[in-house]
Amino acid sequence: MATDRLSMIFAALADPTRRAILARLAEGDATVSELAEPFAISLPAISRHLKVLEGAGLITRSRSAQWRSSSLNPAPLREVQGWMEHYRRYWDVNLDRLDAHLRRIQAARQDNDPQRNAPTAAQPPETEKRNPS
Amino acid sequence: MSELVINRVFDAPRDLVYRAFTDPDQLAQWFGPVGFHVPRESVDLDVRTGGHERFTMVKDDDPSFTSPVNATYREVIENELIVGYEDVEGMPGFEGIVRFESRIEFHDEGDGKTRLVIIQSPHNEDILDDASAGWESSFTKLDALLAA
Repeated sequence: MATDRLSMIFAALADPTRRAILARLAEGDATVSELAEPFAISLPAISRHLKVLEGAGLITRSRSAQWRSSSLNPAPLREVQGWMEHYRRYWDVNLDRLDAHLRRIQAARQDNDPQRNAPTAAQPPETEKRNPS
Repeated sequence: MSELVINRVFDAPRDLVYRAFTDPDQLAQWFGPVGFHVPRESVDLDVRTGGHERFTMVKDDDPSFTSPVNATYREVIENELIVGYEDVEGMPGFEGIVRFESRIEFHDEGDGKTRLVIIQSPHNEDILDDASAGWESSFTKLDALLAA
C-alpha cells in the first residue's frame, strides 16, 4: 500500500463513487446520508469512501458527532494537476521536435524525388530556398 | 484529469508519423525534451504486441545525466495504434506510481495530415490491484471542478 501523498490522492480519485462524492461536495457541504442518497450503497460504505478521501486530504469532516458534514478541500487536486502539467509540457516540447523532424524528412523526400525535383535539380540540395514574400 | 490527453495535428501522412515513433533511426532524431538527446545506439525497438521499447535520453550538457526508458508494447496496430507501459516503481518523479501507460493513436485527417492523440495515465498499486477501479471512466466532473 502506497503511503506517500500523491499516491494517496491518485488512489482516492481512482474510484467513481469517490469522484461523484467530490463532485457533490463541490456544490456544498453534505452529511453522510445526503452523500449516500444518489448511491445504491450503505451508509458504512459511504463512510469508508469518506475516510479514504479524508486520508488523501481531499475533504475535511466537521467534528460535531451527530451531523458530521463533509466539505471539499481542492488543494490536493491542484497537486495532481501540477504533476500532469509537467507531462503535458514534456510532450508539447517533444512534439515540437517531432513536427520539425517530419518537415525535414518530407523535404528530404521531395528532394530525392527526381520528378518533383526536376526543375530545380541543378541547385545544390542544401541551399536554403528563400521565400519571396 | 488524472489522464493526460494530448491532441495534435501534423502536416504529414499517417505512415510517416507512425514511422517517426517506430523506426529507431528516426526516433533518435527527434525524441526527448529540450536539452536532451537520444543516442542512436541506445535505441532498441521490437515493435509488436508484447515487444519492447528501450532507449536512453541523455542530457546534452551533462552526459552523465541519463534517463532510460524501458517500456513494453501492450498493443501495436501498424500505422494506427501503439500502447505501451513502463513499470516506474521507485523511479524519481514517479513517486507513488507503479505503472505508466501511454496510448498513441494515429488518425488519418485527410489531405496528408495526421492527428496524433496521446493519452498517458499513471497507475498506482491500488489500481493495479483492482482492475475495475474505473480509472478509465470520465473525470469530467473533476475537470469542471478544477476549472472553477
